Amino acid sequence: MAEKPSGSSISGLGRVKTWVATPQLRVRLGIRATLVFAVVIFVYYVSTAPRFFSVVNVSNVGARTAPGIIVAVAQTMVIISAGIDLSVGAILAFSGSLVSVAYCYWGLPVWPAMLLGLAAGALLGFLNGLIITKGRIPDFIATLGMMGTARGVALILTGGLPVPSHLTAVTLKAYLPREVIWMGSGKLLGFPVGALIGLLVVAAGWVILTHTGFGRAIFAVGGNREAARVSGINVDRTKIMVYTLAGLLSGLAGLVLVGRMNSANALMADPANLESISAVVIGGTNLFGGEGGVIGSLLGALIMGILSNVLNLHNMQDFAQRVVMGLLIIGVVLFDQLRRRYGA
Amino acid sequence: MSSSLILRTEALDKSYPGVHALDHVDFDLYEGEVHVLLGENGAGKSTFMKIISGSLPKDSGRIFLRGQEVDIVSPQHARELGIGMVYQELSVIPGLSVGENIFLGRLPKRKPFGTVDWSEARSQAKRLLDDLGVDIDPGERVGNLGIGEQQLTEIAKTLSMKARVVLLDEPSSALSDEERERLFTIMRGLQEKGVAIIYVSHRLVEIPQVAQRVTVLRDGVKIGTLLVDEADEATLIRMMVGRELGEQYPKERIERGRELLRVQGLTVKGVLNGLNLSLHEGEILGIFGVLGAGRTDFARALFGVDPIDSGEVFLDGRKVEISSPSEAIDLGLGYVTEDRKDGLVPRLAIPANITLASLKKMTRLGFLKHDEERASAEKYVEELDIHTPRLSQMVEFLSGGNQQKVALAKWLCSQAKILILDEPTRGIDVGAKVEVFRLMNDLAKQGVGIIMISSELPEVLAMADRILVMADGSFVAEYEGGQASGEDLMRDAVAG
Ligand SMILES: Nc1ncnc2c1ncn2[C@@H]1O[C@H](COP(=O)(O)OP(=O)(O)OP(=O)(O)O)[C@@H](O)[C@H]1O
Ligand SMILES: [Mg+2]
Repeated sequence: MAEKPSGSSISGLGRVKTWVATPQLRVRLGIRATLVFAVVIFVYYVSTAPRFFSVVNVSNVGARTAPGIIVAVAQTMVIISAGIDLSVGAILAFSGSLVSVAYCYWGLPVWPAMLLGLAAGALLGFLNGLIITKGRIPDFIATLGMMGTARGVALILTGGLPVPSHLTAVTLKAYLPREVIWMGSGKLLGFPVGALIGLLVVAAGWVILTHTGFGRAIFAVGGNREAARVSGINVDRTKIMVYTLAGLLSGLAGLVLVGRMNSANALMADPANLESISAVVIGGTNLFGGEGGVIGSLLGALIMGILSNVLNLHNMQDFAQRVVMGLLIIGVVLFDQLRRRYGA
Repeated sequence: MSSSLILRTEALDKSYPGVHALDHVDFDLYEGEVHVLLGENGAGKSTFMKIISGSLPKDSGRIFLRGQEVDIVSPQHARELGIGMVYQELSVIPGLSVGENIFLGRLPKRKPFGTVDWSEARSQAKRLLDDLGVDIDPGERVGNLGIGEQQLTEIAKTLSMKARVVLLDEPSSALSDEERERLFTIMRGLQEKGVAIIYVSHRLVEIPQVAQRVTVLRDGVKIGTLLVDEADEATLIRMMVGRELGEQYPKERIERGRELLRVQGLTVKGVLNGLNLSLHEGEILGIFGVLGAGRTDFARALFGVDPIDSGEVFLDGRKVEISSPSEAIDLGLGYVTEDRKDGLVPRLAIPANITLASLKKMTRLGFLKHDEERASAEKYVEELDIHTPRLSQMVEFLSGGNQQKVALAKWLCSQAKILILDEPTRGIDVGAKVEVFRLMNDLAKQGVGIIMISSELPEVLAMADRILVMADGSFVAEYEGGQASGEDLMRDAVAG
């Protein structure tokens, strides 16, 4: 602040008074107070949660949050480009199911099966992008359609059953390959592999957004589509690439999740859309595009992960947890809007 | 001054991070007065107006309305107090009709259910626009209007609120001469009713036409208030920029080189009728015309923003197809849009905006060359004298004129060989205008061909080597530089 000393500066108390007096500033004060309150509550619950700080639990939180982090990175890029992807959860489930089915039912070797899953995720993302740009359909509608479609295909593939499961194990391979399980539940130098993959994805996302021409194009398209176009940026291609990447990352998250659960099912990661959007918004990315980054989303995902873990440790039941999470996202967006409006 | 004081500020102060935008400004305004607020880009004019109109909180200082201290907390509150503002950056909603925009939030209702009375809204809007003497259909989508007409819509909206204090932030920059005259007539009418007006403009010639007093701001500090009769241009400029300015139109004659661009029969049905034009190295080709003549449509068609129906374009004698801006850029074209909002990404930093059209050059294997980006941004910020507290400032937070300079810098950075400038001096101050003209000279010397679209007669007359007059989508006359007078151009432009 260029605060320069001047004769007419008002006294400290007077300053506080004017500060509190105008409505804008009162709102600002309210916003700060709410923030402090939220942090205090959070810290209280975390510190009173039984066994939160045990090594097992911390590493458990890391592993559990990994798919959420990966999907949040995907969602961050989509949202910065002024889009929204409601199919991340469905593509995650689809890819994870496809890998399991390909390995257990179709007898594909492990690497081709994994590649197939990732490629299929990317393909669905690509289709999202294609429908949105060439078909001129709003992002919201296109990905909503994809959400239903991908879940449906996943259900057909798995027949609605977990794959593999003890029911199907008699005729089929009973276990997922070591490689997949390692991705979800393995340890590398004492760290959960899933969490490491998540961090790698965050790093990659950061590099893409801040150090590449593609990243710059994402911001430009999200910040002002018309200006981006007049500046020679291929808007459609940028959007298609963003959605393709989102599909690919959702697929990767599917692999990690399946690896952690030792089995896939078509209905897994059902709250992934809500959670990823929450993580992105908590992380400070502008829901209307053009601003933001993956580091914030990583923090957002971690906060959500820790919250869910802490609520578990406090024995809150899953159904109630959903209510808390749902309210959280509304609260955060509301908060964010107020903060922007009043420049606090 | 015989009439009574209506508005007064005392030590109004406002800082942004790194910028003291307003430094204890005292100001007064009388009923029935038009008071011009003058200053360089970034001097704090818009900031001052926004505080008065409640859209920005002040840091300290006092505001008195009819002698009573007021604390204006929101634009809504300001309206209730009888203060209305037309913002520099248009705030009309493109998807709504003119009538809906004018009465937004206060559409006339029909009893008993409070449904909107559309026919009433329409006729009220029509009456209002007729009073303004503008020929705009109230049912038209605002997005389909030219920028000048959008500006008029916005003015109509503010006037419809029956404000006693009207704040006009550069309303005339997007208007044609004719529309400007109309605006002045409207302002005089308001004045007679005792309405007080604060008026911001970079067009010094307007001051004696409309105003009684002028207040000059520089770097947020009030330099002084003068009666218009005492304020000749030279004095005002000295107060604004703090030094002598010299030649306002520093035109240099440059040898015309070989032909760079030839356009034959460019047609967009119902908009552009078989346009022919050629542009040479080192040449500044002025395209003059009134609002709605199709000049911007021509620029957009040439640059590949809008599709064309027929016509051929030759670059260096070679026939080319330009079907998108990125192709145009690859072929060495650049285009500063009429509305700077169409050319800038507000939430990106200055360097990112400057290099936006040169991303290919600014990346290696897809990775941004940050150092190079910074270096060229620094260079243009220096060269164009872009006022900013720091290089990484988001463009959104620059003053309007400085945004315009960033928009220009983008195409200098892309090293365009053919530059289309659509109203390049819109909203920039006298000093910066001279800078822009110098820059055009320098570019011309380097062999760049410039198409300068402008409705500013003096600037076209002084700067262009050749002038095309456009009317109703056709070029109706052509003059060598120095061969035409302002009357010639005006006559052709309206006769066409
Ligand atoms: N939201 C903001 N955040 C940070 N700085 C700002 C913001 N808005 C304006 N400024 C800075 O405050 C100063 C005054 O800006 P202002 O818009 O009032 O200038 P102006 O006199 O209206 O200029 P112009 O003639 O270019 O419109 C400028 O230096 C500008 O960069
Ligand atoms: Mg301004």
